[in-house]
Amino acid sequence: MTQPRTASPKPRFSAATQDQLFAYGLVLPVVLLLLGLVAYPFFYAIWVSFTNRVVGNDGVFIGLGNFRYLAGSPAFFSAIRNTIVLVVVSDILKLAIGLGLALLVTQKIAGRGLFRSMLMLPWAMPAFVAYLTWRVLYQPIGGGINLVLTQTGIYPEIVDWLGQRQTAMPSVIVAAVWRGFPFWFVSILAALQTIPGELYEAARIDGANAWQRFRAVTWPGIRQVVIITTLLSSIWTANSFEHVWLLTQGGPSDATMVFPVLAYFGMQTQRLGEAAAVSVAMLPVLAILVIFATAMMTSREEQD
Amino acid sequence: MAGSPSISRRLLFARIGTYVALACAVLLVLFPIYWMVITSLKLPREIYRVPSLWPQTITWNNYRILLEDKGFLVALRNSLLVAGSVTFISVVISSLAAYSLARFRYRFRGFVGRLILFAYLTPTTLLFIPLSILMARLGLGNSLHGLILVYLTFSLPLSTWLLQGYFRGVPKELEEQGMIDGLTRFGALFRIVIPLSAPGIAAVAIFTFTGAWNELLLALVLITSESQRTTPLALNYLITSDVLPWGPLMAGAVISSLPLMILYFVAQRFMVQGMTAGSVKG
Repeated sequence: MTQPRTASPKPRFSAATQDQLFAYGLVLPVVLLLLGLVAYPFFYAIWVSFTNRVVGNDGVFIGLGNFRYLAGSPAFFSAIRNTIVLVVVSDILKLAIGLGLALLVTQKIAGRGLFRSMLMLPWAMPAFVAYLTWRVLYQPIGGGINLVLTQTGIYPEIVDWLGQRQTAMPSVIVAAVWRGFPFWFVSILAALQTIPGELYEAARIDGANAWQRFRAVTWPGIRQVVIITTLLSSIWTANSFEHVWLLTQGGPSDATMVFPVLAYFGMQTQRLGEAAAVSVAMLPVLAILVIFATAMMTSREEQD
Repeated sequence: MAGSPSISRRLLFARIGTYVALACAVLLVLFPIYWMVITSLKLPREIYRVPSLWPQTITWNNYRILLEDKGFLVALRNSLLVAGSVTFISVVISSLAAYSLARFRYRFRGFVGRLILFAYLTPTTLLFIPLSILMARLGLGNSLHGLILVYLTFSLPLSTWLLQGYFRGVPKELEEQGMIDGLTRFGALFRIVIPLSAPGIAAVAIFTFTGAWNELLLALVLITSESQRTTPLALNYLITSDVLPWGPLMAGAVISSLPLMILYFVAQRFMVQGMTAGSVKG
């Protein structure tokens, strides 16, 4: 930085400084865009949640007013409960199905490439297409699920899966698992393939049974991937809008109401302060998940 | 295969069990896709009144209804425009950033890395309200330009994150050799690093395109006029009407998943690698 200006034949900056400036220059557009489009809106959302802003009126600071209002709203409590149920149940199912199928496909069987491509298909489909399709599948009239159940005699009555309180949430979960399990399946499959085969041989020679081999060899090999996938999947599921919106719009009578849909409804009624408060209210839990995920992803990056 | 008969019989049963389980899983995965396709090819009579698992007559009627309504074609065009622009912009500027992060050591490098991960994990749900206020203030509400800009919030972090991984895989010595042979830093990036990371860049471009093609919430919030609707938006408004347009709706679903399905079959290998390297959301 302290190059004498008089040394005219030499470049103005040393090679190392030039490299530094070059590096900053390259990264600058992304940094500016992310500061402007993510960091600023992030803090702005928190500010708006403490105001009584509506569309067309910036409103004033009202402290915890919006949060106090939410604390007295039944829809908000439905959203908390439903979001937790959706995240926990669908994560468990996706883990079980993804792990199970990955263990099956990792065996030396004929057609494993074909099985893998087929099982990945829901992930390749656009999410909105997947949920619109499930919406049609669940219909009492024109829906494939009722048709299969009645024609095979498994369940003789037509069920309005998305229209009843008891069945709406399980139906949303099934659709979300269908669309989401391939991500777990492939992540776990990739981790399984990094486990050296000799470890299994050694365990077998030591007389370990299948469960002991899983505990001692398989699980340590995939643990980190499972934890990262769980964190990411929880963050995404808790913040997904389209599954609930396209299937039930939060109904019937808030039985499937979740945070993102509630925030969107708040926005539709033009009460921006309250709507922002809904998404900010889930921030503490989200922050914990994000901090863990960031830590794990950077440590994995550094190991590579 | 030497071994006592009981062991080989057990292996045989295990193998059969594996195939049966996998076949069931594939069936459950394919059934919704099958239903989407046949519903799009059925006459209304077969969808509503005499439903059947196999269509008795195949008709292109639903596709005709959907495409005669100019709104859907406009939406397809808008989606292509938005997803294409987002992909181009974000691949270019995140390549630069990723190269910087992968090759140089500098003071704020850690901060930039953290900013990118933070942006990647910050959900749209938290950002859509302030972003809509911001876009209105910039005069970009209800426009495809505004949509392209806000889609960078999710595309930039993902592409930068993935690309820096790919760039790290290119040996530094190759670049140094190139620079000794007279290439500039930019020359080294464009003539050596980028060509060698082509599969990675292809995967990143596909993910970015997919993300923009699929996005619903921000489009729903920002776009108010019919002429600016994207495909997910057009289909979303189809189900909020009073009639039950399952046939045309599923025709729209087939048409809008076609480009992605084709990409998936062509580039599956790259995509799976990229997905497991960077944990790509679906």
